Amino acid sequence: MSVRQNLRDFFHGAAYSTYERELRMQAAELNDMFLLLCYMEVVGLPNPATLYLLDVYPYLLDQFHMWHKRMGMERSPLGTLPCC
Amino acid sequence: MRGLLEKKVLFFGGKGGVGKTTCASATALAASHAGKRVLLVSTDPAHSTSDIFDREIGPEPVELLPNLWGLEIDGALESRRYVANVKQQIKGLFGDHILKEANKQIDLAASMPGAEEMALFDRIGGLIRGEDTRFDLIVFDTAPTGHTLRLIRMPELMEAWIRALSRSRQAMLGIEQDDKTDPVLMSLTGRLEGLREFRARLLSPRVSAFMLVLVAERLPIEETARALEQLNEAGVNVGGLIVNRILPETSPDPFLQSRHAQEVIYLDEIDRRFAKLSRVRVPQLPSDVHGVTTLDALSEILVPQAQPSSP
Repeated sequence: MSVRQNLRDFFHGAAYSTYERELRMQAAELNDMFLLLCYMEVVGLPNPATLYLLDVYPYLLDQFHMWHKRMGMERSPLGTLPCC
Repeated sequence: MRGLLEKKVLFFGGKGGVGKTTCASATALAASHAGKRVLLVSTDPAHSTSDIFDREIGPEPVELLPNLWGLEIDGALESRRYVANVKQQIKGLFGDHILKEANKQIDLAASMPGAEEMALFDRIGGLIRGEDTRFDLIVFDTAPTGHTLRLIRMPELMEAWIRALSRSRQAMLGIEQDDKTDPVLMSLTGRLEGLREFRARLLSPRVSAFMLVLVAERLPIEETARALEQLNEAGVNVGGLIVNRILPETSPDPFLQSRHAQEVIYLDEIDRRFAKLSRVRVPQLPSDVHGVTTLDALSEILVPQAQPSSP
């Protein structure tokens, strides 16, 4: 890697890193909100749209996995949602 | 009841036992005589269209008579079918591990209370959107009022829900990645479009009409008034009122005379309270309605212009 590239990365990081971290956290929060809306019945709330969400469940499994990891839980905390 | 057969979707609703199935069947029959291809759909879990036509009607359209098909929707079956369909859909898209977990999750979600009602709703939505192009007119013989009003409110509720979900998804994607290719958002958008079309057709007075069936008695009158209020609130076009099973005026029998005197009072009340609606009175027939011949007699009263030209 050239010195030039290193320099560019350094300044990019210096300028954007805090901003990026903020954004990533916000995205994660929004993601959690979305997951909760989709998995309401798992936590005991009735969800009128359950049937219309069945086909997106497999896409969300991964995100659910990432969520419990991020929350510091090694394994899925919900018995009804055993993702790993 | 003019213009009734020009619609694409007709509902027949009312209190239990007032003759919804009979009126729905007679109207469907009249429309089929007028040359329309008609599907008569029963959404009541306690189906009785098969009893009227005296033959088995199942979860797929069966041809009953020329131009007339029957269908009895079964919530449990629709829900199983829906789940099987989703599983089929995702089969090629994911690896074995995810599929196994996802299928488990899907089975669990589909066993939740409300899933059957939702599957029923989805099937009705498909019919109202005109997915089955074989038919010109779809006549719904609905379950008693309360259940049906809930069903009619559902597209609105679901739409709001799915819209909220898709906004939430969009907000998240806006930060993370391009949202055009997100399969979750694409699925939600598709659902939303389907629900919008369902609601638009349900609320269009050109497409749909709701017929209220009642008999001239206290409780059905009150229930009809409430149903009318709620239908108006929901924005559903009410096509008219069918006052069923009116007793003959002249009878030497004192019992019948007394019943008739009471009925006259209720008929007046109906005319007064539902003055804005078009109303048709159907006399009590000498025998109960069963089979095509008696249905034809009833069609003549309900939709006079649509009789077969030759027997």
